[in-house]
Amino acid sequence: MARGDAEFVEFARAASARLVHAAYLLTGDHHQAEDAAQTALVRTYASWPRIHDDDAYGYARRTLVNHLVDGWRRPMQEYPTDEVPEQRRGDVADEVATRRWLIAILGALSPRERAIVVLRYYFDLPEAQVARELAVSVGTVKSTSSRALEKLRAAGARAADNQEARR
Amino acid sequence: MSELDRLRDAMRATERRGATLDLVAVMRAGRRLRTRRRLAGVGAATMATGLAATLVLVAVGAWPSDPPRVDRPPPVAVAPPGTAAASPVQRSATPTPPPTPPPTPALKPMGVVIDSGVRNGTDQRVYYVVGVSVPGEPGVSIGLAAGRRAPDGTLTTDILVNDVQGVDRRPGFHQIGYDERSSAVPVPTFGYFVGPAKRIIGTVGGRQVDARLTFWSVDKQVVIFWFDPTELTPGDRLDGIIARDSSGRRL
Repeated sequence: MARGDAEFVEFARAASARLVHAAYLLTGDHHQAEDAAQTALVRTYASWPRIHDDDAYGYARRTLVNHLVDGWRRPMQEYPTDEVPEQRRGDVADEVATRRWLIAILGALSPRERAIVVLRYYFDLPEAQVARELAVSVGTVKSTSSRALEKLRAAGARAADNQEARR
Repeated sequence: MSELDRLRDAMRATERRGATLDLVAVMRAGRRLRTRRRLAGVGAATMATGLAATLVLVAVGAWPSDPPRVDRPPPVAVAPPGTAAASPVQRSATPTPPPTPPPTPALKPMGVVIDSGVRNGTDQRVYYVVGVSVPGEPGVSIGLAAGRRAPDGTLTTDILVNDVQGVDRRPGFHQIGYDERSSAVPVPTFGYFVGPAKRIIGTVGGRQVDARLTFWSVDKQVVIFWFDPTELTPGDRLDGIIARDSSGRRL
C-alpha cells in the first residue's frame, strides 16, 4: 500500500462514523447516508494527493454536504426504527425516541436549512465557514439559520403537544 | 433545556459508533475517478465554431485502460463521445494529447448555441448541448455546456453537466450546473428539463426566482434554462425547483 493510501485509510477510519451520521441527519435515511458518505470518501480519495496534507476532513465534509444538498430533489424519508433489535433495552428505546424526534424536526426543514443546522450545530462550524462551505453569503447563513430555528421551535412545540395529547 | 440544546444533544446522542464503510471499494472507485479526472483534464474545449477543429482529444469511454464505470460517479460527469471535455475548462488550456489514443473529432455543439443575453465583457454567456458518452450508460448521450462566445466566434466551455445514469431524455429535471469558482467569470446556474415546461421557478432562501428558458433546437422537449445572475447569485444552491406548463399546472 502506498504511503498516501495508508494515511487515507487511517483518515477514513477515523472520519467515517461522523460523516455517515452527518449524512443521516441530512437525509433521514441510513442507507442513503452510507451511500453519501461513501461517495464523499471516494471523491476525497480521488483528490487525496493534493489534499491529504491540508484539511482532509473539511474536504470530505464539504463534499458530503454539497453532494446531498445538490440532491435536494430526493425526498427526506424516515426509517426511525430500522435495525432496532426486537429485544429493546431502555436506553435503546430512548435512542429510538430521540432519533424519531430528531428526524421529525429536521424533516420540517428545507435541504439548505438542514445543511446549515448540521454544519452549525453538529460540526460546530462558525457562520463564516458554513457560508464558505455552502458557497453562500454569511447573511444567507444567518437568515436561513434563524428561519430554521423558528421552525425547530414550532416543531418542538407541536411534538410536545402531541405527547401531551397522548397522555 | 432549549430546543437548540436538545437538538445538539440529540444529534450527538444518535451517533452510531463503529459505522464502517467498505474502504477497499472506496479506494477502488476513487482510483477510477482520479483516472477519469486526469483524462478529462487533458481534454480541451477551446474551439472555433464553424471551423474545422483540429484538437486531439481523448475518448474517456474508449480509453483502453479506463474501467467500465465509476461505482458512484460524480454528478458532473464529462465524457463527450470521441472527446473528454474538462469541467471546468480554462480558455487558455492547451490540449495535450495522451500517448496512445487515436485522434478523434473535437467537442462540437449539437444544434443552435443559445445566447443567454448575459455578457461577460465582450463575451456572450452561451449554453449548448454536446454529445457525451458515459461508459455502461447507453441512455446518456447528451450533456449541457455553459460557455462563452467571443466576438470572433470562439467558444470556451466553462462547465459541462450531464446525467451519469439512466436516460438523459427522461421527463423532468436533470443535472443542474452551478458555478464552481473555477472559471474566470461566474457561471449562472443552468440546467435542462424534459417536458412541456413554459415556466421554471427556483426557490432559494424562501425566495422564488424565475428562470429564463428556451428549447433545444434539435429536440423541443428539451427545455434549457438558466437563472439571471442578478437574481440568483452564481454558485448559490437552489432549495427547490419546479416546472409549470402553459396552463400553470405543475409538471
